[in-house]
Amino acid sequence: MAVLVGASYVLDLRVLGIGRNVPLSEYRWVFPTLAIGLAVNIVTGILLFIKDPTTWGTAIPFFVKMALVIASVATLVPMRSLVNGNTGAGHADVSSNMRLLAIASIIVWTGAVTAGRLLAYLVV
Amino acid sequence: VNLAHLHLILNHVPTVGSVAALGLLILGYARRNEHLKHVGLEVLFVIAILTLPVYVSGVAAHQELRALKQAAEDPIRVHQDAALIGFTVMEFAGFVGWVALWQWRRRGAAAQGLVPVATILLIVALAVMGRAANLGGEIRHPEILAGGAATPAGDPNRFMTYAINQVAVYSTWVWPAAEAVHFIGLSLSLGVLIAVNLRILGAMKRVPFADVHRLLPWGMLGFGANLVTGMFFFVGQPAQYTSSAPFYWKVAFLVIAGANFLYLTVFTKAWGPEGADGDHRFDAGLTDKSMAILSLASWLGVLYAGRMLPFLGKSF
Repeated sequence: MAVLVGASYVLDLRVLGIGRNVPLSEYRWVFPTLAIGLAVNIVTGILLFIKDPTTWGTAIPFFVKMALVIASVATLVPMRSLVNGNTGAGHADVSSNMRLLAIASIIVWTGAVTAGRLLAYLVV
Repeated sequence: VNLAHLHLILNHVPTVGSVAALGLLILGYARRNEHLKHVGLEVLFVIAILTLPVYVSGVAAHQELRALKQAAEDPIRVHQDAALIGFTVMEFAGFVGWVALWQWRRRGAAAQGLVPVATILLIVALAVMGRAANLGGEIRHPEILAGGAATPAGDPNRFMTYAINQVAVYSTWVWPAAEAVHFIGLSLSLGVLIAVNLRILGAMKRVPFADVHRLLPWGMLGFGANLVTGMFFFVGQPAQYTSSAPFYWKVAFLVIAGANFLYLTVFTKAWGPEGADGDHRFDAGLTDKSMAILSLASWLGVLYAGRMLPFLGKSF
């Protein structure tokens, strides 16, 4: 989880302008890292789900969390084309839409982590 | 060696260490020697890290003394409150010292006034820690008390640690909210450290190291959030951690990871003679790569031990 969310945060921070003289194309390492984190979480998440499917499958906070996770992962798709399509030449290479996307990404990831953590208290 | 014994060994570190760090800083001012100040801040940062195991082992020692029923409870609680204040000031001093070191590395100088602020915080930390140490000595050494007899016990509910414990137990939302912040903070810290360490291990080679170094304060932000929330859990419900083996693994990994963080902040090889602005293509040597691997391994150790607290230990 921290690998996945942490690597996303780092990329979002770059898109928002932290360390802006690093070309975005240098952030390609983020995506294999994200893939590892996501794969581990999907496998372990399914295992945790099938341990008690009637509880999780009927819990609304669980669906809120899953919606936030899907939204978070969805923000990565345009991010990926931004990074891959970047030639590394210009420095002012981020459109305002991408900045909004980075902010949205930080918010939905933070929401997903919060919702996931609160499952332990909301769903018994 | 049990944890109470470990506390007796480690408890000298914050006071003696602060004196050493302060001595270096004062010498640095007296001789107008920036290097000495730099070393003083590094020592301060290390002492701030080591104060964490001192505090947590002290709470474990409290539990063991309580089981023996041989020491009065009140002096222990008085000592514990003083130690918590000392710990807090020490961590602030360490944090300001770290910011100064980071700016030093990045711009060749710390911001105006930052080193004096760290020095003053260190003096306050030393004073509070000295008092805590003295109160700690009185727990089992009545012979050092001037008046002969200990002061009579006051209201057992007057302590700061007691108030924090009440919030942890009776508030329905503070604990879950702190847990959520703790997870977000760990994501931020780990993400930044993965980026910086992968750069040392060979990813993003075309990026000057100075530009990944730029990310370190964000890692520190995540770590700060986790230190605050983590200490809230520990002070709020100490018994579920002091008897937990994974908790001590976690603290041990944190100390290693903290030392590594200092290394990443200050090490010189990545910086060309032209300083941070030059596009110095840093190629890490074996030592740096070993440090990077150690750093990632210890952070994963922190995460694993932390997540396993409810399963290998008995916390919730």
